[in-house]
Amino acid sequence: MALGTIDYLVLALYFAFVLGIGFMMRRKVETSEDFLTSHHSVPVWITSLAFIAANLGAQEVVGMCASGAKYGWMTAHFYWVGAVPAMLFIGVFMMPFYYGSKARSVPEYLRMRFDEKTRALNAASFAVMTVFSSGVSMYALGNLFHLVLGWNFTACVILSAAIVLGYTFLGGLTSAIYNEVLQFFLIVLGFAPLSILAVMKAGGWEGLKSRLPQAMTHTWQYLGHPDQNPMGIQVFGMVAGLGFVLSFGYWCTDFLVVQRAMAANSMSAARRTPLVAAFPKMIMPFIVIAPGLAALALGQMNSGYAFPLKESGGPDYDLALTTLMAKFYPSGMLGVGLTALMASFMSGMAGNVTAFNTVFTYDLYQSYIRKGAPDSHYLMVARMTTVGGVALSIAAAYLARQFNNIMDLLQLVFSFVNAPLFATFLLGMFWKRTTGHGAFWGLLAGTGAAAATHGLTIAEGKGGWITPLVSFPSTMAQNFWMAIFAWSVCFVLTIVVSLATPPKPESELTGLVYSLTPRISDANEPWYRRPLVLAGIVIVCLVGLNVYFW
Amino acid sequence: MSDLRIPIALFFGITGCLLLTVTGNHAALTDAPVNLYAGAAMLLFAGVMVWLARRPS
Repeated sequence: MALGTIDYLVLALYFAFVLGIGFMMRRKVETSEDFLTSHHSVPVWITSLAFIAANLGAQEVVGMCASGAKYGWMTAHFYWVGAVPAMLFIGVFMMPFYYGSKARSVPEYLRMRFDEKTRALNAASFAVMTVFSSGVSMYALGNLFHLVLGWNFTACVILSAAIVLGYTFLGGLTSAIYNEVLQFFLIVLGFAPLSILAVMKAGGWEGLKSRLPQAMTHTWQYLGHPDQNPMGIQVFGMVAGLGFVLSFGYWCTDFLVVQRAMAANSMSAARRTPLVAAFPKMIMPFIVIAPGLAALALGQMNSGYAFPLKESGGPDYDLALTTLMAKFYPSGMLGVGLTALMASFMSGMAGNVTAFNTVFTYDLYQSYIRKGAPDSHYLMVARMTTVGGVALSIAAAYLARQFNNIMDLLQLVFSFVNAPLFATFLLGMFWKRTTGHGAFWGLLAGTGAAAATHGLTIAEGKGGWITPLVSFPSTMAQNFWMAIFAWSVCFVLTIVVSLATPPKPESELTGLVYSLTPRISDANEPWYRRPLVLAGIVIVCLVGLNVYFW
Repeated sequence: MSDLRIPIALFFGITGCLLLTVTGNHAALTDAPVNLYAGAAMLLFAGVMVWLARRPS
């Protein structure tokens, strides 16, 4: 794929604007709270778009297109089952505790609700996880641009890291959030035309249905048995594994996304953030998944498009998006598309870096290394942590390049840690009897259960390192079941240990637990500001989409 | 807080104008004037952003 001058101009313009936004936000940063939490000052439309843009990294964009080609329209479950319901739940039920408790981070909420050791466990694992996630994002960017454009891997990594560092160092979280909004619009305007052009070329939705196996164009119809669909999963695994454990575990507890809602300028805005974000989230499958299906159909037609293949001969799903761009975008729009790809990588990186610097500064440095220092000291530490986070991400990117299996292993370990976390939050927020000991040991046992499930099951050659007792048709099915077991063990053990240990006095739990927190009345608000009304509209849309694409 | 809609409008306005200068470029698999349509859509989007920013709150 060759770029023209106009394509480089668009890319340069984008770099100038993201850095410009960083400079614009620099004047707003006077305290560590300004830098790390935006001082709860960001309007709801901005936090809402940042809420989904922080999750819209390139692995998401490239990966969802690849999954569309591999698993078909069922991939939309990652949005309609695996994201939107959890976004409604956090907006309606959980945000009052995050925002109302005045916690500056998710680990800090865990300290207030439970104890220091639960916070430390979550903060440390989250800090390591974000650095590696950012590194993997850089690695993917360098690898893809090297493969597609022949650009130098190191130059890609250093350039993207330098720009992300530039705007996050200057303007902190506000700068990252503002840039995420620009990145969101760029991703939508950069990829939507590709989806339209590719699907139209394949004969529209009816054309796709006529050219692809039926299981590839339905969401629920072929979920009765794992053998009937390409994902190898059935209804229970999909709903409980993806729709409940993994989805709620990510959208309701991961500080990377929760931080965007916590930056909102009022409790009402914080609650509406994920609810407003749910509307564009529902539309995203048409932009990022549909091109994958179109690529598969076009590859079977005499259209002039050949589906990309690996050296081994098998389909290379990860290249579906970029090969479509090369065929459907002329020079000019090609620059916009590649800039959108770059933007998605950078939004993922910046999201991780800003979450990392907050958790490190407040939950690790201020709590365990130096307490009671002046705020200017913590602001300096936050800025230095931003530099350190980016440097560690670059190191992680090179680690991923050298030892791909190590990165797989690390990501697996992180999934062990994340899977049970929602059980801890669910019990902590809605059962006042839950204790710190229960939360801590429940989390550890849940993590152990995830590891044990992986060691006792095998899918596509992965897992089974203890002894392969059960075989799954896909790693996705294996992941869903691993999450279900981890969540269940954490849930049960947290209850058992909590019943055997003394709870916190109720006076210390006001604002942290549902039954001990006064309800928020929004009766005087207009309908479009009421969380329950917004959630109701989203549910109607969601049911409509699921029924239409049944 | 600074109004983010203005820099967004500026970015898409300039990008839209850039695309309108290369409407003669065509892609391999489509005859549609992609740069023309996308450039016009970006200019329209930029206009909406400016209108929203200037609108009395």
